[in-house]
Amino acid sequence: MQPVLSIQQISKSYGPIRALESVSFDVPEGSVFGILGPNGSGKTTLLGIVLDVLVANGGSYKWFDGMPADAARRQIGALLETPNFYHYLTAIENLEITAAIKGRGHDDKLRVLELTGLLQRKDSKFLTYSLGMKQRLAIAAALLGNPRILVLDEPTNGLDPAGIAEIRELIIKLSNEGITIIMASHLLDEVEKVCTHVAILKRGNLLVTGHVDDVLRSEDQVEVKADDLKALQQLLTSMHGIKKIQQGNNVLLLSCDASVQPAHINEYCMRGGITLTHLLLRKKSLESKFIELTN
Amino acid sequence: MQKLLSIEWLKLKNYRTFWILIALYAVLLPMLNYEIANSMGNFKFNGMSVFTKSYAFPEVWSNMGYLGSYFITFLAILVIIITTNEYTFKTNRQNIIDGWKRIDFLNAKVLLVLMLSLLATIYFFILGSGFGLAYSGSASNLFSGYDKIFYFFLLSVNYLGFAMMIAMWIKRSGLAISLFLLYAIMIEGILQKILNWKLGNNYGDFLPLQSSDELLPFPMMKMAAGMMGANVQVTMPQYFVTATILWCGVYYFICRSMLLRRDW
Repeated sequence: MQPVLSIQQISKSYGPIRALESVSFDVPEGSVFGILGPNGSGKTTLLGIVLDVLVANGGSYKWFDGMPADAARRQIGALLETPNFYHYLTAIENLEITAAIKGRGHDDKLRVLELTGLLQRKDSKFLTYSLGMKQRLAIAAALLGNPRILVLDEPTNGLDPAGIAEIRELIIKLSNEGITIIMASHLLDEVEKVCTHVAILKRGNLLVTGHVDDVLRSEDQVEVKADDLKALQQLLTSMHGIKKIQQGNNVLLLSCDASVQPAHINEYCMRGGITLTHLLLRKKSLESKFIELTN
Repeated sequence: MQKLLSIEWLKLKNYRTFWILIALYAVLLPMLNYEIANSMGNFKFNGMSVFTKSYAFPEVWSNMGYLGSYFITFLAILVIIITTNEYTFKTNRQNIIDGWKRIDFLNAKVLLVLMLSLLATIYFFILGSGFGLAYSGSASNLFSGYDKIFYFFLLSVNYLGFAMMIAMWIKRSGLAISLFLLYAIMIEGILQKILNWKLGNNYGDFLPLQSSDELLPFPMMKMAAGMMGANVQVTMPQYFVTATILWCGVYYFICRSMLLRRDW
């Protein structure tokens, strides 16, 4: 499948600060692509570059296999960093401008306002909107005229829990309709629930990218304990399928291959003459995986 | 091109500040001219009412043009507010995100400057015709001195274009307006004197805004000089027309390189 966005070795610095260092990845069509990273890792900078509001120091990007960038942007609905609207105009008047620039969606304004729950306030000036409403209007503008790609930078910023759930459902629904969604977020929960693919950034470097199940696969750990910990450790070092042994608080933490089950470990130790006093399978959370990756 | 202009119109048609500044310009310009036209009628020199002809054809164009070159500041401030608004609201970014090229953002503002100048010039022509008819009592000389109408258009493009450049450079309305006024009222005048004094040859008259001001000079100066029989050395207006057009081109290229290179 052709990638809808292909990023090649993009670098960007703000003075002495290296915001992005030679980042490359592809966004497959139809995916929900999460760009993850702690604050200041370069997520917004990267999106700003592919939307042409920031200028990269090096590298290139291609939308839709090389379509002219401005034509491509008219096919994309994007929300970058903050909702940007004319304060003195109403929601409807603002969307009119969006539609005029995109050259589509003139008859779509009421639908997107309805979808984002702003229909009642369509004739209020943007100035009078609350933070959450501004964010909703930005999402409405991004949805205008059924874009092929949605780019959402922290889409749930400023929304209440109900609003967050609504947006999540909306993203899943749009993805099912075949729209590619590129989403930057530091909220793991959000990403885990909706994304099919991820790229993880840390201080401007791409750590890993790929299918969410591969990248964020919860690697299980097994906790074991015996009266003689030293002997146990010695025994387990030679066991096939154990990748790493860490000394925990009076226990050993084992990182194992998927093929190794707790029962195998127990059996192996019995045969080696050591009786385990403690055996526990620990599911690793996404959060600890993320922290491990980015620390 | 029409599309860019129509999008600018969508941004402005419901903007109250826009209409207030336009109204101020539209009301104050004829009011002040009317005031002056009437008080000049009473001004006698050696018992002779020398200025009564000031608002008859063709002098009306020079007089109104000179006053207009001050009033154009209202429109220049308007251009600064409209342009810096885009930076304040970050809608310059949004326009790009939504699908404009960076150069479209500049071209839209340039078209706005040209359109405002055109409208101001048409208004200038209507007002001038009105005053001229009222004070000369006939339309026989309506089109003599029409070159001043063209000069007024050039002056307007120059002032508004300069204002646009300052706005795109500074990005903040208060600072940009202050800098514009400071330059237009003080800095350029001082620079002009220094250049003319140091280099001679009236080089100072070719500074950005001054080169248009020279097209519509203080008309009484010429009259007074003529009355005293002094021989005033006049630079041909073609030079100032060329200089004005060149400066407008310079503004465009400065803006272009700022917009294409910078982060938004």
